[in-house]
Amino acid sequence: MSYAYLFKYIIIGDTGVGKSCLLLQFTDKRFQPVHDLTIGVEFGARMITIDGKQIKLQIWDTAGQEAFRSITRSYYRGAAGALLVYDITRRETFNHLTTWLEDARQHSNSNMVIMLIGNKSDLDSRREVKKEEGEAFAREHGLVFMETSARTAANVEEAFINTAKEIYEKIQEGVFDINNEANGIKIGQQATPTNPALPGAGGAGGAVNSGCC
Amino acid sequence: MFRSRSWFGGPWGGRPKNRLSLEHLKYLYSILEKNTTVSESNRGLLVESLRCIAEILIWGDQHDSLVFDFFLEKNMLSYFLHIMRQKSGGSSYVCVQLLQTLNILFENIRNETSLYYLLSNNHVNSIMVHKFDFSDEDVMAYYILFLKTLSLKLTPHTIHFFYNEHTNDFPLYTEAIKFFNHPESMVRIAVRTISLNVYKVQNASMLRFIRDKTAAPYFSNIVWFIGKHILELDTCVRTDIDHQSNQKLSNLVAEHLNHLHYLNDILLLDIKDLNAVLTEHLLHKLFVPLYIFSLTPAPPPPSLAVVTQNLAAVLNRNVDIDIQEIHHPRVSSIVALYLLSLVFLVVTHEPLVHALAWVILNGDHSVFKEGAAEILNSYVEHREVVVPSFGEPHESLEQALDTVVGHTANYSGDAISEDSGVESTPAATASPSSQQTETVAEAAATQLRNITDEEKQMLQQSTSAQSVSELPNPFLETVLQALDCTENDYLALLALCLIYAMSHNRDGMKNEWFEQVLSKSMRGSFSYKTAIIEHLLNIITQSSQPSCRIRLITAEIALELLLTFTKPAADDAPCITSSQQSLLFSARNQSMVVLRNFYKSEDIFLDLFENEYNEMRKAQLNVEFLCTYSTILLPPTGTPLTGIEFTHRLPCGEVEKARRAIRIYFLLRRTCQKFLNEKETLLPLTNVVNLVQVDNVLDLNNSDLIACTVVSKDNTKQRRFLVIDALQLILVEPDAKLLGWGVAKFVGFLQDVEVQGDKDDSRCLHITVHRGGVTHNRTPLLSAKFLFDDHIRCMAAKQRLTKGRSKARQKKMYQIAQLIEIPGQLDSPLYPVCGTSSHCGNSRLAQKGANLTASRVPGFAAVLRGNNSAGVSRTQMAQNRSIEGIRNESGSRSRRRSPNAGSSSPSSLRTANAVLDRDRSPSGSGGSHSSSQSRENSQARGSGNRSRESSPRMPRPRSEEIPLEDFPHSRNNSPHSRGAMGNPSPSSRSHTPSRALHFDQISVHSGSPRESSCVLGTNALLSQLNGSVAIAREVIPVQSSEETSFIGNDVEADNRRKVRGNIETV
Repeated sequence: MSYAYLFKYIIIGDTGVGKSCLLLQFTDKRFQPVHDLTIGVEFGARMITIDGKQIKLQIWDTAGQEAFRSITRSYYRGAAGALLVYDITRRETFNHLTTWLEDARQHSNSNMVIMLIGNKSDLDSRREVKKEEGEAFAREHGLVFMETSARTAANVEEAFINTAKEIYEKIQEGVFDINNEANGIKIGQQATPTNPALPGAGGAGGAVNSGCC
Repeated sequence: MFRSRSWFGGPWGGRPKNRLSLEHLKYLYSILEKNTTVSESNRGLLVESLRCIAEILIWGDQHDSLVFDFFLEKNMLSYFLHIMRQKSGGSSYVCVQLLQTLNILFENIRNETSLYYLLSNNHVNSIMVHKFDFSDEDVMAYYILFLKTLSLKLTPHTIHFFYNEHTNDFPLYTEAIKFFNHPESMVRIAVRTISLNVYKVQNASMLRFIRDKTAAPYFSNIVWFIGKHILELDTCVRTDIDHQSNQKLSNLVAEHLNHLHYLNDILLLDIKDLNAVLTEHLLHKLFVPLYIFSLTPAPPPPSLAVVTQNLAAVLNRNVDIDIQEIHHPRVSSIVALYLLSLVFLVVTHEPLVHALAWVILNGDHSVFKEGAAEILNSYVEHREVVVPSFGEPHESLEQALDTVVGHTANYSGDAISEDSGVESTPAATASPSSQQTETVAEAAATQLRNITDEEKQMLQQSTSAQSVSELPNPFLETVLQALDCTENDYLALLALCLIYAMSHNRDGMKNEWFEQVLSKSMRGSFSYKTAIIEHLLNIITQSSQPSCRIRLITAEIALELLLTFTKPAADDAPCITSSQQSLLFSARNQSMVVLRNFYKSEDIFLDLFENEYNEMRKAQLNVEFLCTYSTILLPPTGTPLTGIEFTHRLPCGEVEKARRAIRIYFLLRRTCQKFLNEKETLLPLTNVVNLVQVDNVLDLNNSDLIACTVVSKDNTKQRRFLVIDALQLILVEPDAKLLGWGVAKFVGFLQDVEVQGDKDDSRCLHITVHRGGVTHNRTPLLSAKFLFDDHIRCMAAKQRLTKGRSKARQKKMYQIAQLIEIPGQLDSPLYPVCGTSSHCGNSRLAQKGANLTASRVPGFAAVLRGNNSAGVSRTQMAQNRSIEGIRNESGSRSRRRSPNAGSSSPSSLRTANAVLDRDRSPSGSGGSHSSSQSRENSQARGSGNRSRESSPRMPRPRSEEIPLEDFPHSRNNSPHSRGAMGNPSPSSRSHTPSRALHFDQISVHSGSPRESSCVLGTNALLSQLNGSVAIAREVIPVQSSEETSFIGNDVEADNRRKVRGNIETV
């Protein structure tokens, strides 16, 4: 279970957009999505490989913490990545993105990588938000965008791993201060962190493999 | 982790087919039964079984109640416990799955009865007190989230499953708060959530337990933890003068804010007893001994003080040095002011806020010895005198909790002091301080042996100095002193934040009370309030100076506070003396003088001006938000490389200096208007009410329309008509119902239009409409290819757009000139003087002036004179003048008319303005224009003429103007014109009509189908034009462009032909 880095993620967005399903789909594939049964979780961890390095992703969900201002505001800091999720079949969840983003920007550290996710792409017949709209929003606010389906697992891997890749690149560029755990990045015990100035040795091409599953 | 799906591979034939069924659960139960001992070989199987159990239970909760019955009947939770308690077999591996299963179970369960069943047999409490391997980060995470999930299930009904009144057991809470200082932030957040969820439950006996057994140790530990954090923050501020470790500082600040918000959330729950304990702890162990104490002047070095005291002891004399005080930790006054501001910005609990404010405003050094108990007493009864001290709690929280809760039985003996609850707090504080004194005494004893005479003398001096410096309100004095901005505004900004925070505290602080304290006299009749107002005016006056070291945000808060403190009480007049008011107004005038120097010296002045206005209007002053920026703790800097927002730092470079001058002027103007009770009438420069909006239906009869096809980037084509208004470019679609009316499909400001011809297609224009001003959003409003029917219409469109752009800009520049009272715009004597000087014939100067006129930001007084009557509404100007109290309108109007009406040569005008220009900005028009001079010169004449033509007062028919005037120029300058034509890049600006083009355009007109036969006199024509575009739904008067003379004027065709003939004979 040794890793080079640990990245902390948070998942934000309106209730019912499928945040915990995304999380479960990514961290615990064993929970097969079954008709009529949704299981929510608020935490998950999983190992991935980027650039030949083991990276542990730790994902925290906000479930049930909305009641207190002190809790919501403190949640953003200490995460290196955030998945901002809306439901493509519910327009209002898309409309609330600005508020979420403002909150995130205000309370997070400036380097946090935010990935915009339009979830439930399997329900195309009930779609209310066009893919282009999501793309436009992401472009306007400088986010990475992806449509996913927690049910069919489409793009779920990619969403989490692409975010990790971007964080990893920022570490390589020396943008993230990896020695400060408040930034949501932790160096593994057995890991030998490479000099941020030098791009990772050996792992040319930056191939990304997901962990065992 | 644990992702293998092969555990249910082949070997188990008996596995039911349906994963979600009672049968499957029974089967899983059999597995648990068979594998009671965890080993290497079976742990995979166990993990998978535990996972499946969670899934089936959730399914059962929603679909089949028999599932739960079976689970409870077989007491399967006890198997969980059994597995958990085994040390062997890689327990954390299994434990993680177990905790996840439990989490999923409690999080997803909806059926209340199921929940009660699960909780009923105390297994859950046993799981909670189990000592997991918390060094495993996943175990820690799942464990704390398990507690959090349970805390979310707390209600007055379920509380009894968790809190045992008889044994005083409340593991959910006591176990959770042990992690309040865990290094992992998410764990700390979960602990805070759990504690808040617990406090929220309205259960008297549980709350009594919380207060009596845990409040004192928990809160004193929190306070100690926060204090240590602050010392770290202070060190960071002290060592980070160069803004290098910004991330660290901002993280520390954010974390402190999280603490403060957490405390406020507790206080907001309004649990009386709990709040009393918390208030006491905060006030006497943090705010007074650390924050307030740091507002006092730094003491002599500790060694010296110790020696003094020892000496005094030897000599049997009383010396008034508090050793403890010297050994108190302190933070810099910057940090102290900042932290106090935060308290008032965040915390709203009345007793706490009120007491702290009282100490700041009224308190003196005695507060460190006597505490603020008296003040608190007015809120909470039975408060004992507490000596405030910031020290470590004598017991760690863990110890305290263990003694309180004990492990069930043996707690009664140990925790005597804690039993008395609130009353015990003095005891708790007393012990660390006494310990401290002891160690101090020891140190002193060793020092005493080697003291010299020299040192003795120094001691006496220092003691006498100490006693003298006692002021009546030392803390308030410190705050007031911090407002001094002579060197920079480093401390002043934070002092302003504190004053602002105190006067704007949401509901904790009663404003009248605050007033009352402040208006108490300081010396004689001089009240503190007056002192503050004078300090504020001082800051304001300084910030209006050209090169001051005061940040915009400081000035803004100072102005805001000035308004607050001079707000009329009830129906009185604003409590500001006339001399104070005149100080404010002279600051406004000073800022105007500063701003005049920037007028047009920068090419993008207009964009900056409008952008700053929008920014200022958008950004409401939010001090709380400001205080989340850690950078205000560091010395002010000018460089944007730090990433600090513009208003929070000093300007860097000319553009930013211009921005600053503009912004200061806006701020002062706004404040002055508030004092005068005036409404802003001149800003923004564009009156939004008069603008055409998308989807407006416009009456386009008699307006100029150019048909075109708009091809956007993704190749979608739309057929539209191009309408050019005075300020806007409008794309319309014919209205389906009303003939001659159109629906606006796109509107953009002409001033932001960029036009480029197409090299390959003469019927095509590339038009980009940018977003106005200096926004962060760089994507243009519209960027498309416009295809016209033929190249004539294309050129017409191009010319009108280009002209429209410069006209729109000129108009606004004129408005600005009026606003900031540029002398040349209004002063009558200046004009003739300049006019005569022009005869001396300094042609170089004339050219320079002309160049400036033609450049993108035309600030050219005389040339602009022509437009104003059409561009700026008369009423606006009239108001302007009355506000600024200058001239009457008619006088300036006649003056404005004179240069145009009398057919004075354009060159004399230009010279006049060149002189003006030189007077105003000596360095502004250097020789750097030379490279583009020749081209611009040709433009200059063109635009000079254009604006003259555009004057509606011109006595000639409009249709003649451009051909007659423009033509000779374009021919004279034909080499330049052609050069510009060949090069498409500056085409948006260049004014390069060739001879042939003019004829083409004119002939188009003579053949236009829209020719109406009405022949109108100039005035009638004008009025017709002004009313020609009307909006159907909300009838908005749209001023039609004066440019219409060129293409769309409904003047007799005959007349035009005559004109054409004239030109041909030239």
